[in-house]
Amino acid sequence: MYSKRILAAALVGALGVSACGANDQKAPGDAAAKPDKGGTLRILSESRTINFDPAKSQSLAITTLGLVHRRLTGWQNAVGQPAKVVPDLGDTGRTTDGGRTWTFVLQEGLKFSDGTPITSADVKWGVERSFAPAFGGGLGYHKDLLGGADYKGPFEGKELDSIETPDAKTITFKLTRPYGDWPWIASTPAFAPVPKGKGAEPDYQEHAIASGPYQIATYAKGVEVKLSRNQNWDGSKDQVRAGLPDDIVIQLGQDASVVSQRLAADSGDDKYAFGASFASPAQLAQLQANASAKSRVVTSKSGAIAYLALNTQKAPLNNVKVRQAFQYAVNKSNYQIASAGTAALAGDAATTLITQGIEGREQFDLYQTKPEGDPEKAKALLAEAGFANGLDGLTLVLNKSNNQTEKAEAIQAALARAGIKVTLRSLEADAYETETNLADNPTYDLTLSSWQPDFPSANANIQPLFATSEIGKGGYNISRYSNPEVDELIEEAQSTVDVGEAGRKWAAIDKRILQDSPVVPLIYTRNSFIHGSKVGSFFIADFPAYPNYLQVGITK
Amino acid sequence: MSTPVARSVPAAIRSVLARDRWALTGTVTVVLIALVAIFADVLTALEGHDPYTYDATALDPATGLPAGSLGGVSGEHWFGVEPLTGRDLFAIVVHGARTSFLIGLAATLVSIGLGVLIGAAAGYLGGWVDRVVTWSADVFLGFPYLVFMIALGAVVPAEFPRTLLLVVVIGFFGWPSTARIVRAQVLTLKERNFVKAARTLGASPWQVFRSELLPNLWGPVLVMATLSVPGKIGLEAALSFLGVGVLPPTPSWGRSISAAIDWVAVDPAYLFFPGLALFAVTWGFNALGDGLRDALDPRSVTR
Amino acid sequence: MTKLVLTRLGGMVLVLLIVAFCTFVVFYLVPSDPALLACGKPCTPENLALAREFMGFDEPWWQQFLTFLGGIFTGRTFGTGATAIHCSAPCFGYSFRQNTDVLELIGGRLPVTFSLAVGAAVLWVGVGVAIGVYAALRKDSWFDRAALAGSVIGVSAPVYLVGLLGILVLGFQLNVVPVGNYTPFAEDPVRWAWGLVLPWCVLAFAHGAHYVKLTRSQMLETMNEDFIRTARAKGVKERTVVGKHALRNVLLPVVTLTGIEFGSLLGGAVITERVFSLPGLGGLLIEAVHSRDLPTLLGCTLFAGFLVVVANAVVDLSYGLLDPRARLT
Repeated sequence: MYSKRILAAALVGALGVSACGANDQKAPGDAAAKPDKGGTLRILSESRTINFDPAKSQSLAITTLGLVHRRLTGWQNAVGQPAKVVPDLGDTGRTTDGGRTWTFVLQEGLKFSDGTPITSADVKWGVERSFAPAFGGGLGYHKDLLGGADYKGPFEGKELDSIETPDAKTITFKLTRPYGDWPWIASTPAFAPVPKGKGAEPDYQEHAIASGPYQIATYAKGVEVKLSRNQNWDGSKDQVRAGLPDDIVIQLGQDASVVSQRLAADSGDDKYAFGASFASPAQLAQLQANASAKSRVVTSKSGAIAYLALNTQKAPLNNVKVRQAFQYAVNKSNYQIASAGTAALAGDAATTLITQGIEGREQFDLYQTKPEGDPEKAKALLAEAGFANGLDGLTLVLNKSNNQTEKAEAIQAALARAGIKVTLRSLEADAYETETNLADNPTYDLTLSSWQPDFPSANANIQPLFATSEIGKGGYNISRYSNPEVDELIEEAQSTVDVGEAGRKWAAIDKRILQDSPVVPLIYTRNSFIHGSKVGSFFIADFPAYPNYLQVGITK
Repeated sequence: MSTPVARSVPAAIRSVLARDRWALTGTVTVVLIALVAIFADVLTALEGHDPYTYDATALDPATGLPAGSLGGVSGEHWFGVEPLTGRDLFAIVVHGARTSFLIGLAATLVSIGLGVLIGAAAGYLGGWVDRVVTWSADVFLGFPYLVFMIALGAVVPAEFPRTLLLVVVIGFFGWPSTARIVRAQVLTLKERNFVKAARTLGASPWQVFRSELLPNLWGPVLVMATLSVPGKIGLEAALSFLGVGVLPPTPSWGRSISAAIDWVAVDPAYLFFPGLALFAVTWGFNALGDGLRDALDPRSVTR
Repeated sequence: MTKLVLTRLGGMVLVLLIVAFCTFVVFYLVPSDPALLACGKPCTPENLALAREFMGFDEPWWQQFLTFLGGIFTGRTFGTGATAIHCSAPCFGYSFRQNTDVLELIGGRLPVTFSLAVGAAVLWVGVGVAIGVYAALRKDSWFDRAALAGSVIGVSAPVYLVGLLGILVLGFQLNVVPVGNYTPFAEDPVRWAWGLVLPWCVLAFAHGAHYVKLTRSQMLETMNEDFIRTARAKGVKERTVVGKHALRNVLLPVVTLTGIEFGSLLGGAVITERVFSLPGLGGLLIEAVHSRDLPTLLGCTLFAGFLVVVANAVVDLSYGLLDPRARLT
C-alpha cells in the first residue's frame, strides 16, 4: 500500500517536471501558465491578523490589502522594469505650483461593495481617519506633509483643512512644502476610501467596506479570512487588479515550515495555494531536492537592502576614516552563506543605498574589493585614523526576532580579521526599536538592519535612513547620520516633480552619503516564495520583492 | 495505609542493579553520558573541533547543507555538521550534554533541597507553618510556570548568566511536588516512637530533622530526585526549544532540536543526534528511578 | 460545609490574584513600549504619546493593575467619543495587537485546545488504563514486558520529538494523515477528527505511558489486597472481581493524575500546538509573549491558573464519589 503511494508521488513529480520544464529558466515567476477567471485561491499566512483597516495597515500596494481596497493611485510593476505609479481610483495627480498643491480626479461610476458611489469625500474621510489615535499603526508619511500635528481625526467633528473636495470627483491636497513623490504617497493604505461618516468601530477591519475586486465574506479571528467577489467592482475601471479568482481564502497562523512542506507535496486544496512568507534556507534546501516543488519556487531578483549601520555620533565611529575601514573589513560572502546558505539565494552583494528596481538607480561601488573583503586595507585605514592596534569594545545590537544571530556572528568574525573586536547584544523586537529609533543617546556602536522602501521611489530609500530629522524620535536613521549638505540635497530632491530629474538627484545623494560611510551595504536580500501547481501569474517584479497578489489566478 | 520502611539506600541500589536489567542499562547510559559531559573538552579535542567555529568548507555550496551523505558524517566530523554554519555536530552534542547535565542536576538539587526543607518543616511543625506551606504549594502548582519562565527569559537582561537563571527558575518551581510528598512522609514519621522519644528528650526541630527524619527520608528523596532529573533536563530542552532557554552560541540539545525541525526532511541527522542524546538520558534516569522506587518502596510489587 | 466551600473559593481567588500580580509585574519590567505597535511608521513621539494614552499605558503600573482588576467587575472603555472601545464586564483586558477583547480571544482559541486535550485524554486514559490492567493481569507475559518497555519509552521521549517524527513519517513521507489543518467541529466533524488524529496519538503515546505504569502497579497492588482475596474466596466471578472491585480502586489515582494533567493543559499546549501548528491557546500564549501583548498574556496566564485551581477542586470532589471508604462515612 505504501509503495503504491510512493510510486504515485513519484509519477506526479515526474509529470510536474515535464510540464514545467519549458519555463524552468524563467525566474522569477512563471508567466507561461495563464490563469483563468474563477476558482478559489488560498493564501497561507504565518501572521495571526490580517489588517483590512486601511488606517492601521502598512501593507504594500500590491499585497493583501489591495485585494479589498483601492487607493487613489496604484503601482504597476513587472519583471525587468522599474515600478511605476499608475491611476487607480483617481489619476496620478497634477501640480501647478511645483509640487506644493496636488489635485487628483476620480474616475466616473466607481462604487463601494454596498453599492454606494465612491466620492472624493470618502477618500478624504479615509485620510482623516488615519489621524485618529484609535486607528494608529499604519503608514503615516502623509501626516507631516498635510500639517496634521494637532489633528486627531474626523470623529471629533473637525475636518483637515489641507484636503479640499470641490466636487464629488476632485480632491486637492495642500502640502506644507513641495513634494514631488506625492503621487506615490497617494498609493499608501490611508488613501483607500472609507464611506464618509463610517468606520468609527474598532473592528472595522473585519467588515471593511470594499472598493476592490473582493469583499470580506467571513473573518474568523486568528484562523481564516474568506474573501468573495465584490459585485460592484468594475474590472474595466481598474488597471492594477486582475481580480481572477472567485473566492480567496486566507488561512492565518500557519507555521512557515509546514506551509512549505504542504506546498511541496502539492495535494488537494494546496494546489491552489501559495505561501505568504519567505521560504527559509532550510525549506529552500529541501525544495531543491524535489523537482516539481523546485519549479514552483519563485525567487525575487532583488529586495530589501541589508546593511551594517555605524553610529556616526559615537567615538571612534565619528571618524570617517574609521567608518570607511568597515567597508573593507566586512565579508559579504560569509554574510550571504549565513543568511541563506548560498549567494544565489541570499542576493547580490550591495554597494549602493538605492535598491534595484527603483527609477533612477545608478550602480556604483566606491569601495571596490573582493567579496570576502580586504582586512589589510581596513587595518591600514584604521592606522591612518590613529588606531594602529585596531578597535576594541564595540557593541553590535541586534534584533532577536529577525533571526539575526547567525548573520551578526558572521559580521563579528569578519571584523575580527581586521582587529575590530565586537560584542553582540540581542534584544527583543520592540526593545530593539526603543534603543535604535527612540533613544536620545543610545549606547550601541553598530547594528544590523534592513530596509525595504514603502513606495518605489529613491526618496523612500534614502530620506528615512539618512535625513537629520529622522534621528531618534521614532525615525529610522539608526546610523544617526547628520550632514547639513545632504539634508539640503534631500529636500531639494524631494521637491523635484520631474521623475527623471529627481532620479538623477537621488543617485548623486546616494554617492555623497556613501562617501561619508555611515552604513556598510551588505546585500540586496532575495525573497523566495512557493506556490501550488494550479496557481498562475505568480511573479515577483523588480520591486517590491513580493509576489503581486492582485494578478494571481487559478489555472485549469 | 502502611508506612514505607526505608531499606538502607546503598543496599537497595546494589540489589536493584543486580536484579533489574532495565535499571542496570539505565544506569550505564546515565553514567556514560555523564562521562561524556565531564570529558567534553577531551572528546572534542580528540575529534579536533569545537562547537563554535564556522566552517563553510564542510557545506555543499549549492544548498548550504552539510557536504556528503548523512548530514556530513565522516572521520573528520563524527556526527556531521550543522547546515548553514558548518559547525561540528559531535562537538555541539557533547557540549550540549554538559549544558543539560549541569542544568538538570543543579535544578534538581535546588528543587529537592527546597522541597525537603519546606515539606519537613510543614509536616513536623504543623500549625500555621503547615497551612502556609500547603497553601503556597497550591499557588505554585496553580502557577502556569512554563509561561512564567518564558516571560522571565524575555525580561532578564542578556548580561545575567543564563545557565544560573535557568537553574534557579526551574529549580524554584519544582519544590511543591517534593514538599507535598516529604510532608506526608514526615507526618507519619512524626507519630513513630523514635521521633517522639527524641522530641521528649528536648531535641530542637533542626536536630530531629537531621538525626531522626532525614535518615528515613533518604530513600524516597533519592527516588524523587532520580525521577525528577529527566523532567528538569526536558524542561531546559523545552525552553530552549521554544527559544527562551540557553542563549546561543552555548550548545543545547533543545535548541538544536528546534533548529533541526526545519531541516528534518533534508538533513535528518541534524535531528537524530541531539534527539537521541536527549531521549537516552531521559530514558536512563527514568529506568534507574523506577528500579530504585521498586526496591525502596516495600509496597511496590510491580516487578 | 458552607464554611469549607467559602474558604476554598476564597483561596482560589487569592491564588489567581497572586498569579495575575506576578505576571503583571514581570511583564512590566520588560524594557520596551507596548504602545509602539499602535504608533505607525514613521513613529513620532507625539503619536507614541497619543497611543500610550489611548491604551492606558501612561498610568503608573500599580494603577494599571488596579484598573485591570476593576475592569473585571465594571468593564472598561479605551479612548473617548465615537471611536472609544468598550470592553464590557467581565473585562479581562483588550488586546490592541489583535484588536479584540481578551476574553473573546481566549474563547475563540479554547475549542482547539479543548478538542486537542479532550480527544487525547480520552485516548490516553482509555488505552493507558486498558493496557495497564491487562498487563497487570498477565504479569510477566510478553504483553506485560512490551507494555512496560513501551511506557518507559513514552515517558522518556519528549512530545515534540515524537510529534516531529510523526509529522515527518506519517504526514510527509507516507502522506497518511493531514498536517497543520484544523477544521472546527461544527463545520465538519469528520475532518475535525481526521486533522487531530496525529496530535492525539502523539499526546496519547507520551501521556498514556504514565497511565500504563500507574494502572499496572496500582492493579497489582490491589489484586493482593484482602478484599479481593475475600471476594475470590467467596467465589465471585473473576470478571466481577476485576471489573467491579479492583478497577474502582485503580481509578482513584488515575482520576488524580488526569486532574493534574488537565490542570497543566495550557503549559503542555504551548509545545504541542507549536509542533502541530494548531491555532489554540498555547499558540496564543507564545504569540503574546513574543509580541509583548500584555493584555492577552495576562488573560491567558489567569486562565491557565484558573484551570489548575478548578482541576484541583474537581479532583478533590471526585475523591468523595469514588473512594469506597469515603462513601461509607
